[in-house]
Amino acid sequence: MTARLVWAIAGFSLLIPIMPLHLEAHHSFAAVFDEKATVKLQGTVTKLEWMNPHIWFYLDVKDESGAVVKWQCEGANPNTLLRQGWTRDSLKVGASVEVEGWRARNGTNTCNARSVVVDGKRLFAASSSGQ
Amino acid sequence: MKGRFLAVVATTGMQILLGAVTTSAQWLDIRLAETPRTADGKPNLTAPVRKTADGKPDLSGIWRAADGKYLANIAADQGEAPFQPWAEALYKERVANLGKDRPSGRCLPHAVPDNMMVRSGPFKIIQTPGVIVILFEEMNHFRQIFTDGRGLPEIKEQTWLGYSTGKWEGDTLVVETIGFHDRSWLDNPGHPHSEAMRVTERFRRRDFGHLDVQITIDDPKTYTKPWSADAHFDIAADSELLESICENEKDYENTVDR
Repeated sequence: MTARLVWAIAGFSLLIPIMPLHLEAHHSFAAVFDEKATVKLQGTVTKLEWMNPHIWFYLDVKDESGAVVKWQCEGANPNTLLRQGWTRDSLKVGASVEVEGWRARNGTNTCNARSVVVDGKRLFAASSSGQ
Repeated sequence: MKGRFLAVVATTGMQILLGAVTTSAQWLDIRLAETPRTADGKPNLTAPVRKTADGKPDLSGIWRAADGKYLANIAADQGEAPFQPWAEALYKERVANLGKDRPSGRCLPHAVPDNMMVRSGPFKIIQTPGVIVILFEEMNHFRQIFTDGRGLPEIKEQTWLGYSTGKWEGDTLVVETIGFHDRSWLDNPGHPHSEAMRVTERFRRRDFGHLDVQITIDDPKTYTKPWSADAHFDIAADSELLESICENEKDYENTVDR
């Protein structure tokens, strides 16, 4: 089991950089998100929608001046996440998270999360390869 | 080549992940009595195919496309699909529009056959003597393949997934499907089809863990000749399908015109 876990961790590290393949979103990734516009957010979870076809979570992010900016990010579909060990309790309201992903092409504070770190523990979002 | 390598790495990583992480969902991480096992208790993926009471190979199980190749391009083996001119123009327009009008983006079905290619939503085959049912996890869609000897009917009502009948040729189930309207896309980029499309699928279960399906698209209004894809599927043993109601679609409103 230990060996499998080591491979699982290796899997995480391999998967994260190559999510731009975007082969399996229910929607067209490129019509919604900009693969060249990566975004890194640090914030607090204010709401989680654990629903199909994608989970959405909402963040309060402080900008450089200290003002709170609202963001919304999508993850994979709940079933993909369940199969990877996530549950709806993995992202609780009030949790401090770091999100890396891609920004929406329409310029709103919307992101497609490829990785999420909650309290220092990396979760796997795999948003667009997930379905 | 680099892309293919990355895809293989991604697939491998995903499989490792899926195999290694435990979950609390009641439909997952279970041990089914029907699963053949190796001496160490793991699913025996190369165990022989079971037969049903009527002596046919039992295709039943939960299946997942071996890779994302055909969802990304159902004509991947063709180089380029043998388009009729109007179809090529429509395909190029869909590609240029970044696939923003893909039906599944609004929770509408993938086509026959690409609804079997959605890797994050596996499908379940339930085989009975008179009908084989395919349940697609993604958006809770289903197909019925009638194997009771009836022929294909005169189509009065076109549908997303058509009307399917199946018959056995040895160990291969040959499924013919007609009766499609033209709104589905054959893959994510948007290979089109017309109401004249006839899809032939040849299902052959190699062993417990592997299913091969040769798919032929015959649509003379859209393509100058029939063409095929050879798809492979892996069993998802010791698992069940999950509910997937498309209740919170928010991406379509964020799509952007090119």
